[in-house]
Amino acid sequence: MALTGRAALVAALGIVVVLIAPDPVLAVAGVCLLLAAAIVLDLALAGSVRPLVFHRSGDTVVRLGQTATVDLVVENPGKRRVRGVLRDAWAPSAGAWPRSQAVDVPPGERRRYSVVLTPVRRGDRRSEAVTVRSLGPLGLAARQGGHSSPWSVRVLPPFLSRKHLPSRLARLRELDGQHPALVRGQGTEFDSLREYVAGDDVRSIDWRATARRNDVVVRTWRPERDRRVLIVLDTGRTSAGRVGSAPIPLAGARPAAGAGGGLLIDPGPLPAPGWPRLDWSMDAALLLAALAARAGDRVDFLAYDRSVRAWLSGASKTELLPSLVNVMAPIEAELIEADGPGMVAAVLSRARHRCLVVLLTDLNSASLEEGLMPVLGQLSSRHLLLVAAVSDPRVTAMAGLHGSAEQVYDAAAAERAMADRRRVTARLRRHGVEVVDAVPEEFAPALADAYLALKSQGRL
Amino acid sequence: MTTSTSPTTRGIWRSLRAPLLVGVLLVVAATIGVLLSGGAREARYLDPDDTSLSGGKALAQLLRARGVTVDRVDSVDAALRLSGDRLILVTGNVYHDDMDRLGGDLLIDAGSPYLEDLAPEVRRDLDGARVRSREPECDLPAARAAGSVFLGGSPLSGPGGSVGCYPSPDGPTLLTYAVSGRTVTVVGDMQFMTNMRLDEDGNAALALNLASSKSAVTWLVNPPADEGGPVGGDKSIYDLMSPNVGWGVVMALIALLVTIVWRSRRLGPVVVEKLPVVVRAAESVEGHGGLYRARRARDRAAAALRAGMLARVLPRLGLTVDSGADAVVSAIAVRTGQDPHLVGAALYGPPPADDGALVGLAGYLDHLERQISER
Repeated sequence: MALTGRAALVAALGIVVVLIAPDPVLAVAGVCLLLAAAIVLDLALAGSVRPLVFHRSGDTVVRLGQTATVDLVVENPGKRRVRGVLRDAWAPSAGAWPRSQAVDVPPGERRRYSVVLTPVRRGDRRSEAVTVRSLGPLGLAARQGGHSSPWSVRVLPPFLSRKHLPSRLARLRELDGQHPALVRGQGTEFDSLREYVAGDDVRSIDWRATARRNDVVVRTWRPERDRRVLIVLDTGRTSAGRVGSAPIPLAGARPAAGAGGGLLIDPGPLPAPGWPRLDWSMDAALLLAALAARAGDRVDFLAYDRSVRAWLSGASKTELLPSLVNVMAPIEAELIEADGPGMVAAVLSRARHRCLVVLLTDLNSASLEEGLMPVLGQLSSRHLLLVAAVSDPRVTAMAGLHGSAEQVYDAAAAERAMADRRRVTARLRRHGVEVVDAVPEEFAPALADAYLALKSQGRL
Repeated sequence: MTTSTSPTTRGIWRSLRAPLLVGVLLVVAATIGVLLSGGAREARYLDPDDTSLSGGKALAQLLRARGVTVDRVDSVDAALRLSGDRLILVTGNVYHDDMDRLGGDLLIDAGSPYLEDLAPEVRRDLDGARVRSREPECDLPAARAAGSVFLGGSPLSGPGGSVGCYPSPDGPTLLTYAVSGRTVTVVGDMQFMTNMRLDEDGNAALALNLASSKSAVTWLVNPPADEGGPVGGDKSIYDLMSPNVGWGVVMALIALLVTIVWRSRRLGPVVVEKLPVVVRAAESVEGHGGLYRARRARDRAAAALRAGMLARVLPRLGLTVDSGADAVVSAIAVRTGQDPHLVGAALYGPPPADDGALVGLAGYLDHLERQISER
């Protein structure tokens, strides 16, 4: 049951009646009884909410930053018209709009209403409940009831770095020998013999084959294929830190008004936090996976902090990207220290053949030196390891500010952080580990370039 | 397919019965309490119907037991309608117009504002004597028979021929005299007649002696409070308002209740969500800087700045980290044209003495780095 503003208005008008009535006691009783009777009548005549049936249809997946539409068909098998308000209650970060809408379903009919979702973070967003408030004919009172009509929309990572894919694919074709300017492929696998055409590198002429035939024959090369790439995503605490500026604002990207916790002094304009390292890493992983799949390599994916958060293996070339975004969607950064030895063990147990292990983490000296460094040898002896990390442009900016004493102290701390990072990088490189360290916006292309470089050197 | 999640009637009854029970118990307890208190009313000073401590019902009962008629009146008109030879008893601060029209014997409190009208011969000194037990010390039979009485209040002085009893240092507190055929008795204070004081000393005796001088007593009390009397100026604003206003407030409260019910009913549940923590990655570095600042760790800050600058500059100079300090200083001095001592002090000198020196050092290192990278 619910009352409306009209009932409150009637009660307020009752005040005037009581003030001018000759017998105020009788007037109060009369107004109250009249109002109560009207409310009861209204409730009795309002369309029943309980027998309503809801059917859903619409989008089940949406990329972050885009909108999804979910339709809700309301069927009224009751005898009275259901007229009132409907609210499809989604979690706040689903960005459902409108919050509530008017419904009018005649008896025995059905009507379609839609809700537009603009999610502000990854993961599964669910509709918690559908609430209908059915007004009576007088508009004084309404019946209200809730229904559970489950529907879930999976919000996928946006894969913004796909704009870099065409240029990297062009580089790949260059390596592949499909490019018009055919140079001896920097790849290392012998592909086939074909007739010499003007412009071919004379060094690629296969003299033995030429001797067997009357024509000059050249060898063609192609980059190595069917290699394995294992992308390992570190979802531990270091991946929660937000860096850069968010290309798509996430939930919590803007500090809510009054978030200062009642501070009297304005803490000053804090830079809006960007995306978590995890999301930048996912973006780069998606570009790498798309590129590697085109290059004919097998891509596996593992997300790990202290246990396996996600594992994707053996996806076909066409299915890889959809299944990868699907697996990535619900992953959130866990506020626990990543377990380096556990991660290495998980990788070793899953990758039996030699493969390129791309570890997306942070070059945090404390966590890397305690977690990963001691067990790095096991991994780098059997596999080619590439550690990729997003650097924080704010730290670089802090190191350059020398205006006041406060800024100089901050700059010193930033210099120290950067020195730690350099030290960790140098140590990793000494172990034969490739390291990619780039600012957020350039991270995905930098990782793709590092992959292409390894491929061209035939080191996979 | 969907399922309704609305509560059923049985569920509503089950969840409501406990609060309902508590409410019913509260109402019952309140009703019993009101019944037991016997309708607590405002105490009316020396009212013959009032049973409270300051009331006068005990005296009225005693008078009636002695065969004296006691008539309680609350207006002068009602008093005038009563015929016969009567004693008029005026208690406390009674407000009436036309009091001077009253005839007959008079027993009045000296605190009455109409003393000048009713007994113009009496002079009083308001609250000039403490109320306490006093001896009669006079020839008035009523007083002598009664003995000591709880009296005081205003010391009085009257015309010639008046009899004063129960003297205080400033004068008697009971005065009686005859004027134009009637007896006027003024007492400085009437507390001795109240239910509380009546059984002390000779209070009851004096009160009875004074009041039963005639066969009937007209007991003039305050008019009812809620009746708009002619003396409107002394009424509170609530007495002047129409009774409709009170009920209008009740109706307003009901309207407020309806509004509360209207606004408080939510359209569906509050949806809660587990949100990820929002933490900027640079926060740890900022905290580190704050620690340096709090501890004034100029040595560490300077070392970090120097190391950072050298790490960026050394590859440009073709030197490595292992190069000696002298080689680095001379290379930088040659490249920038700066004084080698200055460069050496900036790179390998003692930590800065104060914050200003630290800022200066940072600026100088910046300057060197820019010069090296520009060439």
